[in-house]
Amino acid sequence: MRRDRGRKPKKKICSFCVEKIDSVDYKQYEKLKRFVTERGKVLPRRISGNCAKHQRQLTRAIKKSRIMALLPFSME
Amino acid sequence: MELYEAMIIISPELEKDDHQEVLDGLSSAITKNNGSVSTILDWRKRRLAYEIDKFLEGHYYLVYFSAEGTVIPEVEHYFRVTDEIIRFMVVRTDEQEFEAAAKKAASEAEAAKKAAAEEITAAAEAGEAEVKESADTETPEPVQDSQEKTAEAEVESSGTEDEEDKPAGE
Repeated sequence: MRRDRGRKPKKKICSFCVEKIDSVDYKQYEKLKRFVTERGKVLPRRISGNCAKHQRQLTRAIKKSRIMALLPFSME
Repeated sequence: MELYEAMIIISPELEKDDHQEVLDGLSSAITKNNGSVSTILDWRKRRLAYEIDKFLEGHYYLVYFSAEGTVIPEVEHYFRVTDEIIRFMVVRTDEQEFEAAAKKAASEAEAAKKAAAEEITAAAEAGEAEVKESADTETPEPVQDSQEKTAEAEVESSGTEDEEDKPAGE
């Protein structure tokens, strides 16, 4: 059933919109951890389901966190 | 005047007593240029996500200050010439964050004061609270009400007999 062509997958909702966060904070790296892969890469929007606005903010926040060694640039 | 937030990581090798010196240097760099430091938050020692200058941990500080944009190069220069600061970042913030930081600093200071004051009596009180909590959660459903009441009553009436509640509750 899931494999049917043309069938739209379940719509994902932006978790930042749900929590009514208007700016993503680089200091809350524990929260940001949910949006990076095991290797430390930023999760794509198609996986995380974030809206464009928050995904942009998230990417910048993750990059700031990386500079301050709160998140890794890469793992292995 | 703009609002800024500076996050700095101080080398773990620097003694905690000497941290103030580094922070004072930063404050003077800001105030010398007509800026003013609002709050300094101590983020304590944390593990770094990767090695910086062969260090695996560092002591984080958050400094909130307001100043003209021209101050930033001065501040960054101070960060660069200070060897104890192994990483820094200055970002613009908004009033909301500024106030939140000030509030947090105030509550932390209060908590520290409270902790110091309570330390003497803490041992006895903490023990009592713990027993009360475990009595609340461990009681099985059917007789919960009566048991809880008796457990609580006993806790309140005397501190020494608390231990006996636990096996009964289980």
